Amino acid sequence: MRILAMMMLLCVAQSVRAEEGGASLNVAKLMQRFSQIQSAEGTFVEKKYLRILNTPLKSTGTLIYRAPGYLEKHILVPKNQNLILDGDTLTIDSLVNGKRVLSLQDYPLLGAFIESIRSTLAGDITTLNKIYSTTLEGDIKHWRLTLIPRDEKTLEVVRKIHISGHDVWVAEVEIFETKGDRSVMTVSQNGKVQ
Amino acid sequence: MRRYVALVIWLTLVVICVLVISRTTFTTDMSAFLPRSPTPKQEILVEQLRDGVVSRLILVAIEDAPPAELAQLSKGVAAQLRNNPEFTGVNNGEQIDVQKDFDLLWKNRYLLSAAVSSERFSVSGLHASLQNNLELLNSPMSSMLQQVLPGDPSGELIYLLNQFEGQARPNRQDGVWFSRDGKRAMLLLHTRGAGHDIDAQERAMRAVNSAFVTTRNLQPKFASAKLRMTGPGVFSVYSRDSIRDDAWRLSFIAILLVATMLLLLYRSPRVLVLGLFPVVSGALAGIAAVSLGFGSVHGITLGFGVTLIGEGVDYGIYLFTQVTKEMTPKLTLQRIWPTLRLGVLTSICGFSAMLFSGFTGLAQLGLFSITGLLIAVSTTRWVLPSLLPSGFEVHPATRFGSELMKVVHFAPRLRSPVLLLVALAAAFLVLRPGTVWNDSLASMSPIPPKDIRLDEQLRRDLGAPDVRYMIVSSADDQEQVLQQSEALTEILRKQVQQGELDGFDAPTLYFPSRKVQQERQAALPEIAEVQKNLNEALHDLPFRSGLFAPFLQDIAQAKQQGLLDKASLKGSNLEMKVDSYLIKRAHGWAAILPLRGVKDAQAITADIQRHFAAPMVLLDVKQESEQMLLDYRREAAKNSTLGALAIFVLLYLNLRSLRRVVDVALPLIAAVIVVTTIWIVTGHSLSIFHLIGLLLVVAVGSNYSLFFDRKVESEQDQARTISSLVFANISTMLGFGLLSFSHSPVLNAIGSTVAFGAMFGLIFSAILIVRKPA
Repeated sequence: MRILAMMMLLCVAQSVRAEEGGASLNVAKLMQRFSQIQSAEGTFVEKKYLRILNTPLKSTGTLIYRAPGYLEKHILVPKNQNLILDGDTLTIDSLVNGKRVLSLQDYPLLGAFIESIRSTLAGDITTLNKIYSTTLEGDIKHWRLTLIPRDEKTLEVVRKIHISGHDVWVAEVEIFETKGDRSVMTVSQNGKVQ
Repeated sequence: MRRYVALVIWLTLVVICVLVISRTTFTTDMSAFLPRSPTPKQEILVEQLRDGVVSRLILVAIEDAPPAELAQLSKGVAAQLRNNPEFTGVNNGEQIDVQKDFDLLWKNRYLLSAAVSSERFSVSGLHASLQNNLELLNSPMSSMLQQVLPGDPSGELIYLLNQFEGQARPNRQDGVWFSRDGKRAMLLLHTRGAGHDIDAQERAMRAVNSAFVTTRNLQPKFASAKLRMTGPGVFSVYSRDSIRDDAWRLSFIAILLVATMLLLLYRSPRVLVLGLFPVVSGALAGIAAVSLGFGSVHGITLGFGVTLIGEGVDYGIYLFTQVTKEMTPKLTLQRIWPTLRLGVLTSICGFSAMLFSGFTGLAQLGLFSITGLLIAVSTTRWVLPSLLPSGFEVHPATRFGSELMKVVHFAPRLRSPVLLLVALAAAFLVLRPGTVWNDSLASMSPIPPKDIRLDEQLRRDLGAPDVRYMIVSSADDQEQVLQQSEALTEILRKQVQQGELDGFDAPTLYFPSRKVQQERQAALPEIAEVQKNLNEALHDLPFRSGLFAPFLQDIAQAKQQGLLDKASLKGSNLEMKVDSYLIKRAHGWAAILPLRGVKDAQAITADIQRHFAAPMVLLDVKQESEQMLLDYRREAAKNSTLGALAIFVLLYLNLRSLRRVVDVALPLIAAVIVVTTIWIVTGHSLSIFHLIGLLLVVAVGSNYSLFFDRKVESEQDQARTISSLVFANISTMLGFGLLSFSHSPVLNAIGSTVAFGAMFGLIFSAILIVRKPA
């Protein structure tokens, strides 16, 4: 029985692979695959290279995503800080600075930053296209999505965003700010992607 | 000669009244519901409802077009209104609104921030806030923080912005506020004029309307869009308009109908005009008396008072319809005067209870009615007879009279069924569970329910907080009251931390007292010291050197900058807040601190009183205003009962027979019971307006029953009397019946109550009172 099940799974996998082989990957297809995901968890390491600092700011922690709009970034090092995005509401909770609840509508710029990751994870191509012009390089084993803000105001702050990954996993998010700041967040899988 | 004396006195009186009225101010605000010796809480509440910030709000919705178009319309309308001096605040969610505030907060951050202390700029203080900033750089706020960090490492701006969080904000779409369902673009306007200044509110509404129409006409795709407005001022304008329009329109129709009837009856335009003399002079005298007695006349008084026309017209009818060739006006008056006089005295008794009421509105109504009735009956008694053409006689009275008498003779047979019916109705009213009174705020409000629903909807859409609790503290001068506000703020901050309440607002968050501003300025270190402290604090932190040069400059500047005064807030939302929460009163100043999410108002009050010695009250707006209106209704009911008792005493003193008193009173009591039952059975509950209506039923109806009760000399005399009652009754029913077509709940309630009541009063008088001619 077990062997049978394994074989059936293999067949399915092969047929999926056959489909992929048939056509090259594009943004729509990638988003279509992401939109199937219900939840994902991972750990991250982020480095921020800021003009105002002599040394990069390093932080590590965990990431939790649940479709369609919930994203949680739990910073463990250097200091415990929890960032929860639920729909339009961003909650920033830290031991030092207290709890703060923001509406993304009040901070359009913040929305642009956050939507790059969330819309990608949700496979929400409409929202993504509304804020950014998108290009995709590579194949399903290794792809890189480049996002360039459409809005001039946003462009004054964010120059471009690189999101790269494999299959339905976002492995790295690199944000290039217009004034020279840059941040790189690498994410490794921790638990299942469903 | 004597007739001329009466005429001259009357004319002089009319002229004086007109002069007084021309100088009279008319009010329409809540002050009518204010007791004459109000508690401090009530005074503050009424002040707030009259011209507080809540009274100056206009909520605007633009709907019935696609969202993109609605957003453009919202921007267009707001742009026009921002230049209009009628408005102190125009908010539609655009960033324009925020920029000015942001600049003000930034420039004055060291004067405004309650966190400023010398400790904050010490090595350890700076080190701690820089550490916090490092953490914030790890949050999504990073790019925003970097813009302000070089000038504000101690985080004053963030501290200030944190204070304003928790204040509800509406949804935003395409850069402007939208309702939650995305169907309406929302604007929130603050008028310069107070809520009780209805003319100013009307100008503001017209400005909104014309801004909307101009914007809508710019593009054809806007054509379908509609504008909606609500708010306390808007309600005042609507209800004034509807009362005015209805009163004018319906009075006009009523006068036309009554005049037609009287013209057919009198067949003399001159007599018709004469018949209006008592009414007009009574109303003029009533208004003038209230104006002299109270300094102003309330709209409600006018609304109620004008309905007294119904009784005033009757006096002329009683006189004219009973005059014949043989029976001169003088003789007729001699005959009916005792009854007429008793009728008037009865009505006056009823209304005099109102005169002694502790509420301005009721007292005005009492004075108006009493003066009006006295003058109307005096005009009938002493002015009309000499003006009536000689040989005047009402013709149809004789033929109509004999037909009428057949009905009247038959009527007493219905005595038992009617008494049974009334007894059943009385039993129903007494035994049914619950009260017949509707004491909800809405029932007192002269605003149609659909407008109230729209208001609630728009408030929800805007997430406009329902201000229920506020702390009000008063002092002799502005500086003192601001310092009190600061002391209260300290206590409230602790209570927020302890979870007693969610948050609060205060004038001093935007405009601190001079004392506190100076203290904060003094707490700022000298530049050399802050430079030294900063360098030490930065020792183990990764911030680039020289980054905080703007901070050093700003601190140096803040140390010498002029203190923040009210003028420097001009044109910002901060100014609007300060104007709302810092109020110049008749005596001294008041600071208002609205509270959010109050768990236990009493505990908060007790806690504040332990730490705070200056005058302070915690006002529960909802409870206090409901209580005030309830007291008002209760007092009106109590005074009406006293009035009814006074009427019985008066009748007994005059009639000298308990049986006759019962005879006269029974039809009135029956009419009141039956009308009340009709209201309850048809699913209504009674408001204060119905109560006033019932009082009028007794006043008008007492004339009927007294005339029925009067000893008559002949069958002919009785026929004439009764037909005069029928005509008087028809005119009353026409006048008040028409009011029941009004959209205004006030006019509607009074109109239908009196029309029904007068009809039943006459019918029951005919059935229940049997007097054979002598």
